Amino acid sequence: MKETTQKSVPALEITDLTKRYEKATAVDKLTLTVQQGEFFGFLGPNGAGKSSTIHCITGIAKITSGSIRVFGYDVETNYRIARAQIGLAPQEFNMDIFAPTWKILDYVAGYYGMPSEERKIRIDELLERFELKKHRDKQFRELSGGLKRRVMLARAMVHNPKLLILDEPTAGVDVELRHELWNYLRELNKEGKTIILTSHYLEEVELLCERVAIINQGTIVADQSMAAYTKGGKRLEETYLKLTKGLHA
Amino acid sequence: MLSNWIGLGMMVRREIERMNSAVIQTLVTPWISALLYIFIFGRVVGSQITIPGDYTYIDFVLPGILMMNLISSSFAHTSFSVYFARFTKNVEELLVAPLSYWEIIFSYTIGGIIRGLAVGAGIYVIAILFSAATINHLGLFLFYSIAVSAIFSLAGIVVGLWAKSFEQLSVLSVFLFTPLTFLGGVFNSIDLFPEQLQQLIRLNPFFYFISGIRYSMIGVQESNQFGGVVLILILLIGFGFFVRSLFQRGYGIRV
Repeated sequence: MKETTQKSVPALEITDLTKRYEKATAVDKLTLTVQQGEFFGFLGPNGAGKSSTIHCITGIAKITSGSIRVFGYDVETNYRIARAQIGLAPQEFNMDIFAPTWKILDYVAGYYGMPSEERKIRIDELLERFELKKHRDKQFRELSGGLKRRVMLARAMVHNPKLLILDEPTAGVDVELRHELWNYLRELNKEGKTIILTSHYLEEVELLCERVAIINQGTIVADQSMAAYTKGGKRLEETYLKLTKGLHA
Repeated sequence: MLSNWIGLGMMVRREIERMNSAVIQTLVTPWISALLYIFIFGRVVGSQITIPGDYTYIDFVLPGILMMNLISSSFAHTSFSVYFARFTKNVEELLVAPLSYWEIIFSYTIGGIIRGLAVGAGIYVIAILFSAATINHLGLFLFYSIAVSAIFSLAGIVVGLWAKSFEQLSVLSVFLFTPLTFLGGVFNSIDLFPEQLQQLIRLNPFFYFISGIRYSMIGVQESNQFGGVVLILILLIGFGFFVRSLFQRGYGIRV
């Protein structure tokens, strides 16, 4: 999996993406670019096409038409290199519920081709970072909702990806973890990681993201800097509601 | 095709660990069942049965019992593993990883083969206790054991992808594999069946699996060995590419 990335290449480049499920169109000719190092918010009401887009980027769903490139690598023709760059924390728990925490991380790191010694160091680092050390041998099903969310995040980061896609990462977590996670994400972003965040907590998006795209009924209805959304003392929420509700009416 | 060896190895490790996490179900149950078959049919009932040739009835039934368990264990392993991964959505872990379809298929198949062979090895040890374990052609014995386990591991993947409930996992096993195995000559020579049924049995692939492994163990030949080997290779390659095409289409795993 030889990989070279130029600084000028976008972290994510989606061109005319369409995703259909039988007769329903979830994503309709969506075009979007996220530059390297951006902290990018991807918003939209339920069923707007956010998760479908994410599933197409990561390989969970088949692309109906259009193309997606991650750091210049096509996610279909060059899927090995493209996928190695992405870390995904999906909205729904999709774990082997009987596997202990450390093994979940070990398995996934292995799937990404990390050698055993490297895995061990990385897993210890993440267990420490997400305060999961004392839960390392517990099965996933034995963990509380907040701890499960932490394991999901640790799993997304275990192979040290350059692009992190976090789909509702703070849903169901306590305030402390939410704040810790925000700090951690800022830190990662400063280190150069590109982060795509979807969240229904708009204050979270306002606090973290420098650019936000809003998707509704499968198409992008706004794509601008956070400053543009909050210009004149407005809240992101106001613009968001105007755009999504207005289009629903 | 295959280049992420660490990923492939990790998937195989995971399959082995899954087998080891439920040894009562995955290993002990088939061993006890085989022990009872060997004792009752082989020793108790078998001692009253005389069959032509230089071997006892227990020698005759052991290869069939071994094959029956290789088939059911390898099939059960992959069908459950794939279906459970779909059920918990954990299969997404594999879909987002830099693993090729062949790497995923090989890993599941190797897991199924290992379980089949682990069950088979235990049964062989039980057979030694009954002085019934002989091997005439080691190469053929290994070929039949591994290749048939591989075929049913692949069949298990298909069913794991197709099933919509846990109940459906056993449909093929109950309605197809068990009757075809019993009619394939596990407990008796097919010469004991009526002439017309014998012709039909010769179209049953399970007959070639059982007859083949019996030949490799005790040298009794009821089927054409060359034909059996060719049939197994065709099924193996055919199933392999069929499963690959299902993954390519995203059947049951990618929407």
